[in-house]
Amino acid sequence: MDIALDTVSIVKAGQFLGAGISMGFGAIGAAVGEGFVGGYANCSIGRRVGMASPYTRTMLIGQAVAETSGIFALMVSVLLVFGDFSANGICAWTATMSAGICMGLGALGSGIGAGYPAQEALWGSARQPALGGQMTTSMLIGQAVCQTPAIFALVIAFMLMFKNCSGLDVWPYGASLIGAGIAMGFGAIGSGWGGGMAGGKACEGMARQPRLRSPLTTLMLVGQAVAQTPAIFALLVAIMLISIGPQKGTLLTSAAMLGAGISIGFGAIGSGMGNGVTAQGACEAISKESSTTKEMLTFMLVGQAVGQTPVIFALVVSLMLMFIKFQIPATIVGFCALLAAGISMGLAAIGSGYGNGDTAESACKAVASNPEGKSGILPLMLVGQAVGQTPAIFGLLVAFILMFGSYSGPATLPAAMAVLAAGISMGFGGIGPGVGNGITAAAACEAAGYRPEERGLLMRTMLVAQAVAQSTAIYALVIAFVLIFVV
Amino acid sequence: MENIGYMPRWIFDIAGFHIVLNKETLIMTWIVMAFWILFSLLATKSTKMVPNPLQSTAEILIATWDDLVKDSLGLTDRRYFAFICTIFLLFWVSNLIGIIPFLSEPTKDINTTLSLGVVGFIVAHYSGIKFKGIKTYLKEYCEPIFFMMPLNVIGELSKVVSISFRLFGNIMGGSIIILVVSYLVYSLVLPPFLYGFFGLFVGTIQAFVFTMLSLVYISVQIR
Amino acid sequence: MDISGADLVRAAAFIGAGIAMGLGAIGPGVGEGFVGGKACEAIGRNPEEAGLLTRTMLVAQAVAESTGIYSLVVALLLIFVV
Repeated sequence: MDIALDTVSIVKAGQFLGAGISMGFGAIGAAVGEGFVGGYANCSIGRRVGMASPYTRTMLIGQAVAETSGIFALMVSVLLVFGDFSANGICAWTATMSAGICMGLGALGSGIGAGYPAQEALWGSARQPALGGQMTTSMLIGQAVCQTPAIFALVIAFMLMFKNCSGLDVWPYGASLIGAGIAMGFGAIGSGWGGGMAGGKACEGMARQPRLRSPLTTLMLVGQAVAQTPAIFALLVAIMLISIGPQKGTLLTSAAMLGAGISIGFGAIGSGMGNGVTAQGACEAISKESSTTKEMLTFMLVGQAVGQTPVIFALVVSLMLMFIKFQIPATIVGFCALLAAGISMGLAAIGSGYGNGDTAESACKAVASNPEGKSGILPLMLVGQAVGQTPAIFGLLVAFILMFGSYSGPATLPAAMAVLAAGISMGFGGIGPGVGNGITAAAACEAAGYRPEERGLLMRTMLVAQAVAQSTAIYALVIAFVLIFVV
Repeated sequence: MENIGYMPRWIFDIAGFHIVLNKETLIMTWIVMAFWILFSLLATKSTKMVPNPLQSTAEILIATWDDLVKDSLGLTDRRYFAFICTIFLLFWVSNLIGIIPFLSEPTKDINTTLSLGVVGFIVAHYSGIKFKGIKTYLKEYCEPIFFMMPLNVIGELSKVVSISFRLFGNIMGGSIIILVVSYLVYSLVLPPFLYGFFGLFVGTIQAFVFTMLSLVYISVQIR
Repeated sequence: MDISGADLVRAAAFIGAGIAMGLGAIGPGVGEGFVGGKACEAIGRNPEEAGLLTRTMLVAQAVAESTGIYSLVVALLLIFVV
């Protein structure tokens, strides 16, 4: 089958693929968010029929804001369908396709997340009709911050689409551009969704305790801001890949750039959601026990900071892949090795990031149920989070081994696939145990809130449970080692 | 930027052994040790009932860790307390020292964290054997089913790997991030805040987590 | 690069092993974590029964591990036996 390829055709092919991906994924988030808003609007109207008209207005406003990320995705799609990017050189096919990936996935998290503040604002208005306009303001504030990742994704999509790369070879610069799109696209999911969850709980808290409006708004904004950090890391990596991506290099350089994008892109999902869940727990805690307002901020920040360790590991692997000249042979084995390093770290960080966030959420709520027991809950939370990060550490270990290993065997397809399979094994293998360990530690923190004197026993039980739950991560690590060293 | 991961070294060849020492790490560790020796000499020089600032800082540190150790281990003698408190002091200042210009954190080197992780592991398992007797200690690896033994052994080793790599990853990661961001923003505005977050905040927390985990691993072996 | 039939088979076997162990570790991890969580909660309510609760938890986790062990066996089969 002969396919005649000229620049214009190739670029158009990339454009149209990107347009489809952008609108396809971008439609998911906004629709889900708006659906939830509509559902809760009906609940509220059902509870207070007389207020149907203000509730409908609030619902439409909330849905309009949640629509924003969908509109961004539509805009990028239309530009990709009708624009002419062939003047940007043959690299433009990777750039336009990557722009589509970036905006499509980036709109996903923010769309879903923007639904939470609106739904809680409506349900809260039904509980406390006197609040009226205040709830709408809080809703808009909560929704605004969680749109930030979608805006980052839009910025990167525009940078990609209008990047003039004429005269450059497709590889490795094209790999940098695809990596940038993956990094920002996936990286925006967790922060958008998590930030939205935090905003939602804050609105619910304001409905329950209207006089706590000011501390809740502060806590929500700080919590959401910290939850945006993983998306900011992803933005950083994407900008670096676009502006200082290497223009000459071997097969290895392409793999390194793709791996860097995958590592931070996936790695940011877990921590973004985890930090958002922590902020959610902190908001719920203050609304139940308003005396803990001052210390809850510190507690939440500590929990979020430790919960960001997996995404920091992912960022480190990304930066190392981008800047270090590796001593591995530039064959298909080396290509798969660097790609596998990114996959291993990126995926393994998802579970631990979310699990740590779950633990910190539970710890915040435990402090609310027992404010004097704070000094006992903090070590339990930190140890639980630390042990729960072990799958991410295994991912980091495998990534290091893949990046700095010596590949002296012949460069055959089985050898390359073995290395890639090692990365897949450790990457996916880190997700489940990370989440499971987080659930265990969360329950331990909650129990420590009720029974602070049993702290030692709870710590030991939690550690035993976490150690057993990590067995499957250890199996995955062993399989990864077998695939790298024995085969 | 190109020298991320570059480590200045002393290389000797003695009696047929090729010895490689990381110069920067060793010197920084000596500086940290000198700091603590000086601090403790000054703080305990003339202990009064109304303490001076150095003495009260020392008292706060000692009291916090004494409580934590008593809580976890339930023993009243000071054997483990000295070890645990030393690990915390060493790692805390090691993580903070990067803020001072021209100095860098010795914990940026995997050798530092891994060696103290291994020491903690040895202390924990030696105490386990001493307190429980070697038969009970070995039988514990076969719980709950005999086939779990290799997995339990790997699990114990993975504990060492995880605590060492966690501290190393956090501190080295922080320094790489600060380096790259400073390069991108031409060292304006952002770097002090990053140093504050990664150096002070993350450094303190990770030192605490490492020490707490070592303590807990010892307590799991003893009980 | 000349790819022979035997090479392709081995390569596919390795990828299969990676997928088997990778995806296979997700479920047992979450499930055992849930068991541990409920055990901690129960010990919080009733600390005197800690021994019984811990033993039950370990048995439950071992059973939940089964599919993880199946994945491990399949992965090892694909790497070494095929």
